[in-house]
Amino acid sequence: MSHSIAARYALRSLRRHSRRTMLSIFGIGLGCAICLFVIGWVRGERRMMMNAAAASGSGHFSIVPEGWIPIRTNDFRIDGWEGILARLRAEPRVRVATPRARVDALLAFGTQVAAIEMVGVDPRAEPLGNRLVRRVVAGRYLKAGDEEVTVIGEAVADRLRVEVGDPLMVTVSDHEGEMRSAMLRIEGIVATGSRELDATICHVALAQVARLTGRAGAGEIAVTLVDAREVEGFGGEVAAALPEEISLLTWDELRPELSAGVEVDEIWARLVVIIIMTVVFLGIASAQLAAVLERRREFGVLSALGMPGHRLLRVMSAEALLLGSAGGLVALLLGVPATWYVATFGVDFGKLLKMDSIAMSNILIDPIFHSDFGWWLVPLAFFLAVAATLLSSLYPAWYAIRTDPATALRVDH
Amino acid sequence: MPPLVEARSVTKVYHTGNVDAPALRGIDLKVESGEFMAIVGPSGSGKTTLLNMIGALDVPTGGSLTVLGEEIGGLSKRARAELRLHKLGFVFQAYNLVPVLTALENVEFVLELQGVGGERRRRAREILAQVGLEDFADRRPNALSGGQQQRVAVARAVASRPRLVLADEPTANLDGENAEMLMHLMRNLNSDHGITFIFSTHDSRVIAHAQRIVRLEDGLVVERKIGEDKSGHEA
Repeated sequence: MSHSIAARYALRSLRRHSRRTMLSIFGIGLGCAICLFVIGWVRGERRMMMNAAAASGSGHFSIVPEGWIPIRTNDFRIDGWEGILARLRAEPRVRVATPRARVDALLAFGTQVAAIEMVGVDPRAEPLGNRLVRRVVAGRYLKAGDEEVTVIGEAVADRLRVEVGDPLMVTVSDHEGEMRSAMLRIEGIVATGSRELDATICHVALAQVARLTGRAGAGEIAVTLVDAREVEGFGGEVAAALPEEISLLTWDELRPELSAGVEVDEIWARLVVIIIMTVVFLGIASAQLAAVLERRREFGVLSALGMPGHRLLRVMSAEALLLGSAGGLVALLLGVPATWYVATFGVDFGKLLKMDSIAMSNILIDPIFHSDFGWWLVPLAFFLAVAATLLSSLYPAWYAIRTDPATALRVDH
Repeated sequence: MPPLVEARSVTKVYHTGNVDAPALRGIDLKVESGEFMAIVGPSGSGKTTLLNMIGALDVPTGGSLTVLGEEIGGLSKRARAELRLHKLGFVFQAYNLVPVLTALENVEFVLELQGVGGERRRRAREILAQVGLEDFADRRPNALSGGQQQRVAVARAVASRPRLVLADEPTANLDGENAEMLMHLMRNLNSDHGITFIFSTHDSRVIAHAQRIVRLEDGLVVERKIGEDKSGHEA
């Protein structure tokens, strides 16, 4: 390249108006840096929402009976769930696999009544996969071997005006449609930090749900992975190994409203990126066209000497490539520190919104937002900068190629 | 041997808005290989237009113009560019060197465009030496005098070993001494290498070097005569 006169011509042409070139590079760099930041932000948001959904009990994915998907009934159980659970727990990529069985229940204490979805859980695994139950403000969480006890959310306790040790009358509909009741002692009260979420929590042992409903087993197995990026890869492997009557649902299928929120943000982010890149594109096209108009006579001379159009296009492309590469470098210099800062230290929305915790769709969201940061920034910065510059150079290059040598030389004669 | 250039009733009309401006109105001309010919005439007489036609920079509106066996009017844009690159050389009034390239690189660029490989730098240096600028090879045009720039332009024009070099008012921006030096240089290249030169001028000192003079007025050839050729070279 360095031996090519055309390449030297391209490089030195950029240095001819060094101030304009530097401004162009800074413009490309700044625009692309903002795009990197925005893309890092939405990537971080998707990961945060996925992890928030996983940590709030949904897991990165869940194993459910096939018929559960359209109606989401609590009546189904997974055939052979213990074998599936054992295989998942033996897998090193799985951090925790926790079985659950749900039943719609009516809780009563004295004259107070509350309708709730009672969840039967594995007392040892549940706190590992569900951060909603980790903050016990009174009593304790469930232990293996617990019978006829329950742990409820603080908002449920307040509504029923109960405390630890109080008996709760629980009424459910069994597998034959008959009403069944039991007295459960309140063993613990949990507070998630969100009243909305606290009002949904009523946990019992898995066996308790079986005793009450007459339906043994688990209706779902929530799986939290060691590395969230394995959702598609490992999830695909698991799904392929499952029998036909059992399905795997990823977090976004389980929480479509949350996923839709992320997708809306992603669409906005794409729109922002498109707007910024359009502004960059027009700015560079304008600067490049001005440069071509200034060099019209020069292009006329080159054409007169017999320089073919494709060689001129190559020179213009080389100029755009150099400009874009330098712009990509500036984008990294500006975008990487900003994205790294938000990825490392985060933005505390709890402070900004004056809220201790943020809950959405039964998910407890970390109030400190973290961007995504990684090697992906490097190719993306150069791709955005070089693509924008090359595309914006097309019209000026076409204009340069079309320069009629006789006219160009006559103009300044 | 067929003439290098043969023009028969060549016309050129420029269309400016709704107005037709005839620049050439029926030129008949033959140029033989090895000639050192001047096209003279007042401004607006059609000298540059005729040179542009012969140089395949433009095409005639009417008539027939054959250059090096090629009918210019029948060539595509690409074919004309090929003809210019491989068989023609140009020297412009305003030198028109590429300002960001050194003298050597300006000469080398044409060779690169021609696809000359490893020997291109050596050849470019040799040509610069022939025009007496070997010591200025690494200077950019803005560090050269007008006369030196025009000598680099001549070196660039002959670098591709063309059969025909066209020079449009090559001495117009030069002082007397430099103009004289340039004409000697071009005449030497003409006599030593057999390169045909056609140049336009209205400088009487330059006209004196021509073997043959064609005078244009209002787009027509009004006079043809044998020049005095004061250069001392044999015709």
